[in-house]
Amino acid sequence: MGKKQKKRIYIGVRYVLILIFCIPMLLPLLWMLTTALKDNAAVFRVPPQWIPSEFHWDNFTKGLKKINFGREFLNSLFISVVVTIGQICSCMSVGYALARLKFKGKKLWFYLIVGSMMIPGMVTVIPVFRLWVTLGAYGTWWPMIIPAFLGAPFQTFLARQFMTTIPKSYDDAARIDGASRLQILTRIIAPMSKPLITVIAIQAFQGAWNDYMTPLLYIISKPEKWTLALGVGRMTSSTYGTQWNLFMAADIMYMLPILIMFFFGQNYFMEGLGSMNNSGIK
Amino acid sequence: MEEKSNVKRKRKPYWKKEGFQAYMFMLPTLIGFPVLCAYPMIYSLYCAFCDWDGINAPVFKGIKNFKYLLFVDPVFLKSLKATFMYALINVPVTLILGLALALLLNKKLPGIKLFRVIYYLPTIVPGVAAIILWQFIFKSDVGLLNGILGQLGIAPVGWLTDEKVVLFSLSMIKWWGVGGMMIIFLSGLQSVPADVFEAASLDGATGWEQFRYVTFPMITPVVFLQLITGLIGCMQSFAEAQIMTGGGPNFASNFISYDIYVNAFTNQKYGRACAESWILFLIILAFTTLIFKKSESFVYYEND
Repeated sequence: MGKKQKKRIYIGVRYVLILIFCIPMLLPLLWMLTTALKDNAAVFRVPPQWIPSEFHWDNFTKGLKKINFGREFLNSLFISVVVTIGQICSCMSVGYALARLKFKGKKLWFYLIVGSMMIPGMVTVIPVFRLWVTLGAYGTWWPMIIPAFLGAPFQTFLARQFMTTIPKSYDDAARIDGASRLQILTRIIAPMSKPLITVIAIQAFQGAWNDYMTPLLYIISKPEKWTLALGVGRMTSSTYGTQWNLFMAADIMYMLPILIMFFFGQNYFMEGLGSMNNSGIK
Repeated sequence: MEEKSNVKRKRKPYWKKEGFQAYMFMLPTLIGFPVLCAYPMIYSLYCAFCDWDGINAPVFKGIKNFKYLLFVDPVFLKSLKATFMYALINVPVTLILGLALALLLNKKLPGIKLFRVIYYLPTIVPGVAAIILWQFIFKSDVGLLNGILGQLGIAPVGWLTDEKVVLFSLSMIKWWGVGGMMIIFLSGLQSVPADVFEAASLDGATGWEQFRYVTFPMITPVVFLQLITGLIGCMQSFAEAQIMTGGGPNFASNFISYDIYVNAFTNQKYGRACAESWILFLIILAFTTLIFKKSESFVYYEND
């Protein structure tokens, strides 16, 4: 067997393996989509039916009505956007100080931030919950929004790492021209940190959009304030019956915004930190 | 230097000094860290030794909560077991699978980018959406898995109702999202310089030998990091139990995080829940320290 032939077989085997592993990755999503288009009787059909005999597009409108989708969508969107803005502002600000300014206790604060990344949320959740209750914020969105403005440890860490790679001479030149430090951050450093800001924005938005526990703790008693994650998460355990076709339709609509974001910013999703320099995945 | 020359003449106003301004930029963390991290940690440690119903002030009771959890509570030890088993099933499988898939896709072939996106797609699905989807797939009557088994003539499995199977079922959701781990390994693999492989193949190393003696040692830092984050992630599983199983059947999926939630927010036993959360924290801390210690023998850093 020639060397070339051997290489061809090798590549063929690789492709076959790659295709085989695609099946478990895609099948659940496909199943979700076909179920969302079936009528209720077809859902219960045995053996499972892969292509519905009739396409019930109206499941999407019915499914959305099941969980007060419009309201919850807007709630989720509002919270996620505010959280994203908050995290960008706070993480850029703290990251800038840690990366480019001199002050007492800088090292200590850096280690505290890194250390707090390791602390499981479950350890702090009870006192934080009691604190919000004492402040009268139970049943409001504040417990979801305020923490974003107080710096997320991991994103702050990313910001600090990224900003240390920008040459200091930019700051010095701007200082000589009479720029304040805030101006340096907003006019010089921020425009140079677009990949960083994109990564923080994606992670913050995704985090807020996906968050289930915080709304469960704080706004479960106020259905008009529910987020989509909460509405979707609660739908199967509530008294809506077992209309899985409608559940799947609502579920698809819930994940759609994130999927759309993913198709526009694939690299930022898949590479995260890696996409911030040019040595990403080739 | 800047400061010294200023001392001689007139002092710079404090709000123009670098130190002061730095603290202004640090403000989010200066407030956030004490309020959302340090104080809750300390307060929850104190409450772990207290009786606390959330209405009246906590009353100090010594190690009562810990005694109860470890020797009286019929649920806590089961939660501990469920959490450990879940981590044990999940962490090695996702590590090996993630690395295997990364090796499979680490080749410049036509269409490879599309396949990477396909493999990564399940990771994009929000946690709650994935849980609802899999809840449907696991259904004993209309579920896809039992449907396929039925066609093959195999008796249906109680994916979420059989206590021997439930952890395995929940793990399948995690395995489905292995794409995230794969991508991290992929970037790790691609940071291995090409000349190392050239040298190895010139020396006549086979594919496996190249992996065993060249590739793997080079990516051990990535493996190490993934081991820690994977473990911490598994130890904190919550939504699966809350949405799909309610901790059942027979507490087989009653993860500690879920037990903390139930004790605190359903049973109003805040003190006991705080004690549980500190036990969880100490377990995670112990594991992380252990992995760090052990890592000296298997993690290779280029700068050393």
